[in-house]
Amino acid sequence: MNSIRIFTAILLAVACLQVKAQSPKGKKGTFALTNASIQTVTKGVIQQGTVIIADGKITAVGTGITIPSGAEVIDCAGKWIYPGMIDGGTNLGMSEVGSDPRTRDFNEIGDVIPQLKALSVVNPNSVLIPVARVSGVTTVLAAPEGDLIPGTAALINLHGYTPDQMFAGFEGIVLIFPNTGRKGFFDRRTPEEVKKGVEKTVQKLNETWDLAVQYHKLDSATKSPAYYPEMQALLPVIRGERTLLVEANTSKDILAALKWIKDKKVKKVLLTGVAEGWRVAADIAKANIPVITGPVLAVPTRDYDRYDKAYANAGLMKKAGVTVAIRSNATEHVRNLPYNAAFAAAYGLGKEDALKAVTIVPAQLFGVADKLGSIEVGKSATLFVSDGDPFETKTNILNVFIDGWEIPMVTRQTELYKEFLKREPGLTK
Amino acid sequence: MKTILKISISAFMLIVVSIHSNAQLETGSLLIKGGTVLTVTKGTLESTDVLVRDGKIAQIGKNITAPAGVKVIEAAGKFVMPGIIDAHSHAALSAINEATSPVTAEVWTGDVLDPFAISIYHALGGGVTTIHAMHGSANAIGGECETIKLRYGTKDADALRMEGAPRTIKFALGENPTRVHGGGNNIVPRTRMGVEFVIREAFSKAKEYGAAWDKYNIAKTQKNFRGAPPTYSKRLETLSEILKGNIIIHCHSYRADEIYMLLKVCEEFGVKRLVFQHVNEGFKVAPELAKYGAMASVFADWWAYKFEVYYSTAYNAAILTKNGVVTSINSDDAELMRHLYHEAGKTQKYGALTDDEALSLITLNPAKQLGIDSRVGSLEVGKEGDIAIFSAHPLSIYAIPMITIVDGIVRFDREKDPDDERIYVDPKEPLDAAFYESDKSYIDNCMKDAEETFYSLFELN
Amino acid sequence: MKNTFRQSGCKIILVALLANLHIMTFAQDVRILPAVSRSYAITQVTVFQGPGRKVDGGTILIKDGLITAVGKGLTIPPDATIIKGDSLYVYAGFIDGLSRIGVTKQKEEVPKEKAKDPGNPSNEQAGTTPYIDVRNLLNPIDKPIEEFRALGFTVAQVVPYGGMMAGSGAIVRLDGNAADKMVIKPKSAFYAEFANAERVYPNTILGIMAKWKELYKQASLTKSYSSVYASNRSGIESPTTDRVLESFYPVIDKQEPVLFKGEKNLDIQRILSLKSQLGFNVQVAEIKEGWDLITKLNAAGSKVFLSLELPEEKKPNAKTDKEKEKDDLLIVPDSVELKALQKRTDDFTAKYVGQAAAFNKANVPFGFSGLSVKSKDVIPNLRRMIKAGLSEDAALAALTINAAQALGLSDRLGTLDAGKVANIVISHKPYFDEKAKVKYVFIDGKIFETGPPVVDKSDKDKKSEKP
Repeated sequence: MNSIRIFTAILLAVACLQVKAQSPKGKKGTFALTNASIQTVTKGVIQQGTVIIADGKITAVGTGITIPSGAEVIDCAGKWIYPGMIDGGTNLGMSEVGSDPRTRDFNEIGDVIPQLKALSVVNPNSVLIPVARVSGVTTVLAAPEGDLIPGTAALINLHGYTPDQMFAGFEGIVLIFPNTGRKGFFDRRTPEEVKKGVEKTVQKLNETWDLAVQYHKLDSATKSPAYYPEMQALLPVIRGERTLLVEANTSKDILAALKWIKDKKVKKVLLTGVAEGWRVAADIAKANIPVITGPVLAVPTRDYDRYDKAYANAGLMKKAGVTVAIRSNATEHVRNLPYNAAFAAAYGLGKEDALKAVTIVPAQLFGVADKLGSIEVGKSATLFVSDGDPFETKTNILNVFIDGWEIPMVTRQTELYKEFLKREPGLTK
Repeated sequence: MKTILKISISAFMLIVVSIHSNAQLETGSLLIKGGTVLTVTKGTLESTDVLVRDGKIAQIGKNITAPAGVKVIEAAGKFVMPGIIDAHSHAALSAINEATSPVTAEVWTGDVLDPFAISIYHALGGGVTTIHAMHGSANAIGGECETIKLRYGTKDADALRMEGAPRTIKFALGENPTRVHGGGNNIVPRTRMGVEFVIREAFSKAKEYGAAWDKYNIAKTQKNFRGAPPTYSKRLETLSEILKGNIIIHCHSYRADEIYMLLKVCEEFGVKRLVFQHVNEGFKVAPELAKYGAMASVFADWWAYKFEVYYSTAYNAAILTKNGVVTSINSDDAELMRHLYHEAGKTQKYGALTDDEALSLITLNPAKQLGIDSRVGSLEVGKEGDIAIFSAHPLSIYAIPMITIVDGIVRFDREKDPDDERIYVDPKEPLDAAFYESDKSYIDNCMKDAEETFYSLFELN
Repeated sequence: MKNTFRQSGCKIILVALLANLHIMTFAQDVRILPAVSRSYAITQVTVFQGPGRKVDGGTILIKDGLITAVGKGLTIPPDATIIKGDSLYVYAGFIDGLSRIGVTKQKEEVPKEKAKDPGNPSNEQAGTTPYIDVRNLLNPIDKPIEEFRALGFTVAQVVPYGGMMAGSGAIVRLDGNAADKMVIKPKSAFYAEFANAERVYPNTILGIMAKWKELYKQASLTKSYSSVYASNRSGIESPTTDRVLESFYPVIDKQEPVLFKGEKNLDIQRILSLKSQLGFNVQVAEIKEGWDLITKLNAAGSKVFLSLELPEEKKPNAKTDKEKEKDDLLIVPDSVELKALQKRTDDFTAKYVGQAAAFNKANVPFGFSGLSVKSKDVIPNLRRMIKAGLSEDAALAALTINAAQALGLSDRLGTLDAGKVANIVISHKPYFDEKAKVKYVFIDGKIFETGPPVVDKSDKDKKSEKP
């Protein structure tokens, strides 16, 4: 044991020397996280428990567990272990500097472009990624944005050097359902203009869907239809093999989307955004379509709405029987996902469901609950250690593991802190 | 002696009030019983009462009995803190940017207050009682700003003003002014060099202007003087007031170099009262800021929305604080404004500030930056009765603001207020019109009006 | 039937048919022969001399553009054209406090290309053109003049189109005469509104407020120096002349009021704030949201013109099933929430409609202005105000004597009294009655037979659109 520790210390020292030249690297190995309070999410809290990580997986969870030889032991006395948090909707990896279009890769030209893939443009070396993951957010949906069908979103783990190393096993096609809400203070269209715009887009949507259905029939019959990338991309959605992520926010749009989904018999589908979901929560519950809602930290969509409606939205939907996951809908603010969940918790959702809404629920919705979303044997070792409730603002995240890799808790932001807390030279050189 | 002084001061205040507005200031009295009182300056007091009389904190202590007719608010189990102050907001304004010129010192947000803005009520719902309603950041020298109290419910724009608060003015460095004027209109400034020149030129002209008027005003007192007055310019007059130390500069800034530049320019022109806003790279020149006595009002963790904030750190507030810079955390945003207590809490994660240090960032320190710390920003006898009551410790994410009090009047009550808090309803507005920002806006809120004018019309990007 | 008429083009038949029923026809089609003399006697009519002053079976004598007598049993001069009005109702001519009828729109001055220096635009671009005189822009044959005259309006204060300081207004008669002959009072007011300039300074209300204060102070300084200079020109430099600043001089001297358009509550607050800082006399016109500012307006000594425009009344849902079906995709369920919201909206609509009654109740005199109202809505809106508690007398006062007083013309206008200008409205029923129609209008003693009320006409137009 001792020799291992010394060896580790030497390794760490070497690693520290390397920090000067380059960012520290992740580390794979066998880890034993001992004496921890383990929030399994699915199976309650285990006190004084141990989690063993080996070969990228959680190999043991519980008390009285034998620590494998060669395992690096991390004493988590007084600490907590949580599954990595999953952000059900972001642009992370697809945008670096918000105002600079040259660094924005999530909004291609075209209104029906489902064949464009978020996964291809995820930048594994984005400076924003380490900042997100050291906060305990280990997995995010990187989603394209734009007009009607702006592309295919991908679930990624926030560690890896290629998109394939990061891919977390889910892709879904984004549909921005024709929107009757105003887009911003600059949106000065009259209600009639808004309505006309919506009608036009609905028509385009239906035409597209009809084409895809036709293409599906053709494809089933001939097996070799001509090159038609849009339709080829939509094919798995028509066949119920791929999820359609339907973004709808105002109550009108949500109802319209529900009706459309029913009419078109869309098989695999999620609602996203859902800012006014509380207003039509019963309808969503009745349609039995889960939602990924957020940002929670938002102002009400209407001036006459109760001031806390955006905070309360997730809880109100849950209460009505809707399955709710939470997203940040952010890029550089993905690290604030736990605070979005916490506000939802405080304003009615409750801590337990809020935690699920950023762990097991999105894992289930994305079909990756066999790997992510809880601390269970056999799942991917994607988890973190904290000194308390990760929703609490002052809680520190101490260790993060993604796919069994121990993530360096270093970001450009922490490095700037180290450099400038006591700047040298100070006032005089 | 003391009494006489007090009387004369209050008499003076009355005059000031009457000059500034015709509005009769509405105040109230109430007793908050048994809460945990976070004074910010004098520690945390368990199970303590706070008595507000006629808008002022009259007594803080145990077992205070309510004077006859004074309403009692039971706060056992709750947390009582000074009303939150936001040193950077654009709420309650009908317009934000007069973006047509690099220098618009003559305009004043106090002219365009909007007491009907629902964002005022939303902010109260986050425990905020005072905001700095600022001009935007399109211009190197923007307009004068107004410090207002969130007396939501009044229909009188003048009644929002915090009477007697010092004059402040907005400056802006970096991308916004260079983009709007250089990029948009091909006039100086297009670079940070240009921004420096624009400010130096404005100060220099203001100096000449002030001197010309001083000369004229002296000459005028002489018998038979018949000379012409200098051409009046509201712009130069305001600028010369800055040079005289009568207006506090609040400068939108991000990069260390431009922050340092303005320090030097101000030093050269003898301008002492200087607060940097946003100041994302303030941490890099914290020793220089501290030495000059310049203050900093920052975001807790905003970054990467534009290039000049790419090299930011959420540890900014902590580094500044620990280097002795009076630092506040602001919102610049209608949503963020509602949870400044949470934003302040982030400095405990990013830099391990103490509770009082963290709370100071949203109370006493912004009060200092606005020159109103003798009146608000902590719970002390004699200060104004601006108080926020929380369900739990306000630095906990689970804390919910329950009651917000301004001048001893309850302006927000989570349990009693109706849902629809609009004061005015526009019958022409369709009932089911929703506002949803589906596109993320990658622009500062400070750029409202400017973006609208220049981006949509000139297709700038 | 109607279609037959149209298709066969039997306009002559139609005119003939109508002529049997009414003397009036389409004004533009018929040449009005000049009267034999400028003397008229309107006999056997119900005269509303002024609010609350009713004479049944009275007579009004008019000569050379003036009212010579009003009363019972008057001797009718031999040269008078007699208008027998057994069931006619007679009122003083109505006055519109702020209007642009009869005013030609100047050419759009805003250039398509962006300004070189948006911070220093020309006066035209900035909208600071107080030197423009609306008299140069009058168009006597402007169609809306006819429409408003047909409603009983005889005089209006008109202003130029433009920006924040568009120019000086004038009080004109709506008598379709030559431009100069229309004018009763030139330079009646310095017209202002919170209209921002496009893409140049002042682009927002921020700039407009600052510009007001700066120009006013500059004008005050220049004015006083100019008078110093005028008294003795030797030894000092000559003052600059500036059309904009000079336009302020009569305002500073309080010879000319500032006529400010102030529709919304905040507009009015800002106007009163400028007034209290700068000290000018003010008329606030086109007020729509003034009910909370009655005391303030009165205390400031402002003249008040309330807008004749009102928000539409809530209409019962008259959608056909087919339209409903089309809307289904977008509609919000009929909920408790929606009803509560509808109630708040209705409450506010009631405030707009009840505004005039509220001013009246507070004893604050007001006139009306028709700047934004459609002519067809004027009478229905007046009736809505009356239904909301405005007395008919008060409505009449607002249309006549109060407006005349606000404009400083009550010595000549506003009542039917001997010696006043013969501006007269003659209606075949009491004016505010459901089916009242204005039959004749006198302006300066000149008679106009009015066409069918505009409301009917537009309905007809609408119907004719259908195949």
